[in-house]
Parts: sequence; structure tokens; C-alpha cells
Amino acid sequence: MVLNMFPQTIINSLVLSYIFLIVTLSFSIIYSTTRFFHFAHAVIFTSGAYFTFLLHKQLGFSLVLSIPMAILLSILLGCLIEHFIYKPLRKKQAPPMILLLASLGTYIFLQNTISMIFGDDTKSIRSGVVKEGLNFFDARITPIQITIITTSIIVTVLMILFYKKTQLGKSMKAVASDSELSEYTGINANRVILWSFAIGSGLAALAGILVSLDVDMTPTMGMNALLMGVVVMIVGGNNIKGMVCAALLLGFAQNYGVWYISSQWKDTIAFVILVLFLLFKPEGFFGVKIRKQSI
Amino acid sequence: MIYLLHIIILIEIYAILSISLNLIAGYTGILSMAQAAFYGIGAYVAALMALNFNTPFLLNLILAVIIAGVFGALIGIPSLRIKDDYFIIATFAFQIIIFSVLNNFVSFTGGPMGLPGIPQPEIFGFVIDNHWSFLILGLLLAVFTYYFSKRIVTSPIGRTLKAVREDEVFTQSLGKNVAALKVKIFVVSAALAAIAGVLYATYITYIDPTSFTVNESIFIISIVIIGGAGNLKGSILGAVVLVMLPELLRFVGLPNAVAANIRQMLYGGLLVAFMLWRPRGFIGEYSINRESKK
Repeated sequence: MVLNMFPQTIINSLVLSYIFLIVTLSFSIIYSTTRFFHFAHAVIFTSGAYFTFLLHKQLGFSLVLSIPMAILLSILLGCLIEHFIYKPLRKKQAPPMILLLASLGTYIFLQNTISMIFGDDTKSIRSGVVKEGLNFFDARITPIQITIITTSIIVTVLMILFYKKTQLGKSMKAVASDSELSEYTGINANRVILWSFAIGSGLAALAGILVSLDVDMTPTMGMNALLMGVVVMIVGGNNIKGMVCAALLLGFAQNYGVWYISSQWKDTIAFVILVLFLLFKPEGFFGVKIRKQSI
Repeated sequence: MIYLLHIIILIEIYAILSISLNLIAGYTGILSMAQAAFYGIGAYVAALMALNFNTPFLLNLILAVIIAGVFGALIGIPSLRIKDDYFIIATFAFQIIIFSVLNNFVSFTGGPMGLPGIPQPEIFGFVIDNHWSFLILGLLLAVFTYYFSKRIVTSPIGRTLKAVREDEVFTQSLGKNVAALKVKIFVVSAALAAIAGVLYATYITYIDPTSFTVNESIFIISIVIIGGAGNLKGSILGAVVLVMLPELLRFVGLPNAVAANIRQMLYGGLLVAFMLWRPRGFIGEYSINRESKK
């Protein structure tokens, strides 16, 4: 406690917030187009880290090559889930509840597949030496933490441009607001949804890899990250501006909360915030309703 | 033989849990992810009472049911106001909060070390300390849960619950107090889940928070859905199938380390398969696979 803890906590909170932000963006792009809670997204996050571990540590590819390959494999996994499980269900006009149950099943299945292959213990893809980190206003920040923050900012800006400027981004908004109606304007909703799974899965895998570079990996890391992403999405109201604020709120609340109560209560803090928002401001920070129209 | 008895007792425990969840998920159409939390509350109340105050089993059972019911109300009243998937997320959140309380409140719950040495039940002088007597106790409790739930679902209240499931706004327009009804059935469901918790705690005589995780909630949901939502017999059938099926793997001779994963992969895979090809489960009367309320 000799180090000045105050600036350090700011750094830690920022890193945490920016990780939440990537996860949230990755989840919200899929949630916007499909309107159900894709719990198997948690496994995509985890798979990014484990594919990197497999390629880099076990097959001996260089890290620079392993990371893009791992992201591609995770994108493939996400798209396969969409193609073989969700798409047939949508064809039968299954309500969100069924899709949610199917995604829970998929999550349980894949998470245990990872546990079985790699074991439940912590795995690391960091190279041997722990770098000490740079001093920054009395606080330490490691190169990987700087990478997390910059990557997250770049991703956020790209996503804003994507929704505003590209044809695909606009089609996604159309499918998000009414997938049936969008079909009449010549949009292939299934193709747009597949794209949202591809982009969302890629971002989730990226977030998973960044987290594993910072604090290693376990097979269940994804669910926790996903839940935080969901909390941020709901609190932020599913628009980018709101989600940035919500990610910061959550990151800081968690890190400063543990000053007063012990660190095991991090998740509890996040969920208390979630429940409060669901009760008193369910449309999130900036009041854009993401609730389904009732009936 | 002991092994077989053990399996049957587990089936009884999971039958109670899935019947209790079926009331809310199958009959009322509200999926809760917090059932394992109420199961855990029941187990911890019974264990703490017995360990700290040496109170008799029946009193612990009643207390556990009441306290779980109170928690059901505390969780249900705010979160039942939230619609559809957001309700699921809210119950998911409560499930995780209760797990972290059990896991982190070390001075009270023993934390990750759990609570060892829970005394076995004694009812009017009969000590229940072997598999046979537990089997009978479990059977009595399961039969009670079944008939209690059956009374509810065949009564006018049960019909109103189904009406809420089919069309909430319409039911409301008939003058039914839907909000109060949902809270009541949620409380009953939580209280019944506590019975399973008391049974589990006194049977195993040791509890720790890992028995009451989100994965356990998902497992209970799988039993209800695969057995058949909206059918109490379906829940019993689901419990029999999903508890027995992984046990068959034992005879294939899988190493223990892998068996736990395979068990979970099996029911995860089953859940997906049922959603794709038979969303109403084995004998469900109500298929959630329906274009609901447009």
C-alpha cells in the first residue's frame, strides 16, 4: 500500500471498462439483429483465448500469426452455431425463449468441451518474463493494458463508422428494427444476421485474447465477461454512447467498490447496478428503449 | 444396491426441484434462472439451524421453506415487473448474487469450505441415517410436493396461471390480478425448492456453494424442458432420465475427470437437440415453441 493507490485504481478501472466495452459491442451487434440472449457468445470469447493458446503454445506458431488465426476460428465457430442451431429455429418461428434455451445448451456443451480438452486449470499465453510496466502518474500500466485501451477505442470508433457509413451497417439497423419489414426492401435478413454473428464473434474473440494476455485464461472466463457485457448493454441502453458511459460506470464502480468492501463482491456490485437499472430506468442511460414492444 | 438407492434419492431431490420450477416455468411461462439459489437457501438454512442451535429436523424444514419463500418474495416482487428476457437476466443476476453471498460470507456460511457434519434428521424419535430411510423420507417429500403442486395446477388458480402463460394482457382484462398471482406462484416455487435443499443437506451431511451454481439452475431448467413443460409427470420423467443417463456412462468406464464434463455435455447437447426437434419435451402439454402473442 506504499504505492499511491488512487491513480492506480483509475488505470485499473479504465482497463476493465474498455474490456467490458469490447465485449458489450460484440454482444450488442448480435442481440440487435436477433433479439435473444445468445449465451453461447460466452464460449466464443473463451474460444478466442484457447485457440490462441492451442496455436501459439501447442502448435508453435508465432503469436502475431496465432491471434488472427484464432479470431478467424472463433468467427467460424460463431457462424456455425448460427447456421446449424439458430437459423433452423428461426425458420420454425421459434420465440426468443427457445433460442435462449438452445443457446444455454450450446454454451454448456462447448464450455465443457474446452474444459475436457484443456483442463480446468489456468492457462497462460504470456511469454516468460513479466514486464514491469511503465510508470504513469504514480501508477503502473503494462504494455498489454495500453494495447487493451487503444484497441478498444479503435474498435468503438470503427463500430460507430460501421453503423453510420456502410451499407451492411445500415442493413443491420433495418433488421434490428424490424426483420420482417426489412425483407421487403430487399435485405436478406439471414445474411445480415450471419454477418452480425461474424463481426460479433470476431470482437468477442479479440476481447478474450486481450484478457488472456493480461490475466490468463480459464474455461469459464467467458460467462463472467458476457454477463458484464449484458449488464453494460442494458444499463447503456444498447446505443454506443450509452454503452461507453455504462462501461465506465461499471468499471469504476467495481474497482472503487472493492475499496470499501472486499474484492469478492465485484460481481455483486455489477448485478446490484443492473437490478437497480432494470427497476428504475429499464431503457438505460439515454432513454432509447430496447425493450420489446409489449404485445 | 446402495448405489441404486443413492440414484433414487437423487432422482427424488431433482424431481422436487423440477416440479417446483415447472410451476413457474411450465405453467406460468416465466423462466427463472434462480431455482438453484432457493435450493441453496433451503440447504443452508437447515444446515445452519441444525449445526448452531441443534433444532429438530421438522422445525428446520419448516423454517427453510418459510425463509426461501421470503427470499422468493424479495426477489420476485421487483423482478417480476420486468418483462421476458430481462426477467431471465434479473434472476440470473440474483442467482449469482446469492452464490457469492454463500461463497464470500465466510463467517456465516463457511465460504468455499462449506458446512461439514450436518446432523441427520430425527423425526419423532426415528433417526434417519441409512439409504433406505432417506429413500422413504425423500419419497414422502416428493409425493407431498407433487400433490401440493397438483392441487394448485388443477384449481382455478392453475387455470389462471395457464391463462397468464397464453396471454397475459387478456387475462388481466378479465379482472385477474396477474402481478400478485405471479408473485404468489414464484414464492410457492421458491419454498418448494427449499424442501429439496433440506433433503440434500441432511442426506449428504456436507454442503458447499458449488452445489448451487448457475449451472445447477440450468440443469433444473433442462429437466423441466426435456421432461415436458406444463406437465408435472413430465418433470418426474425428466428427473429420472437426466439423473440416470449420465450414470450409464459410468459403465462405459470413462475416467472420472472426464465424466463430469461428459455429463454436462450430454445434457447441454440434449437441450439443444430437444429445442430443435421436440421443443415440448417428452410429454409436455405446452410447447413454448409457438409464435406467442403477436
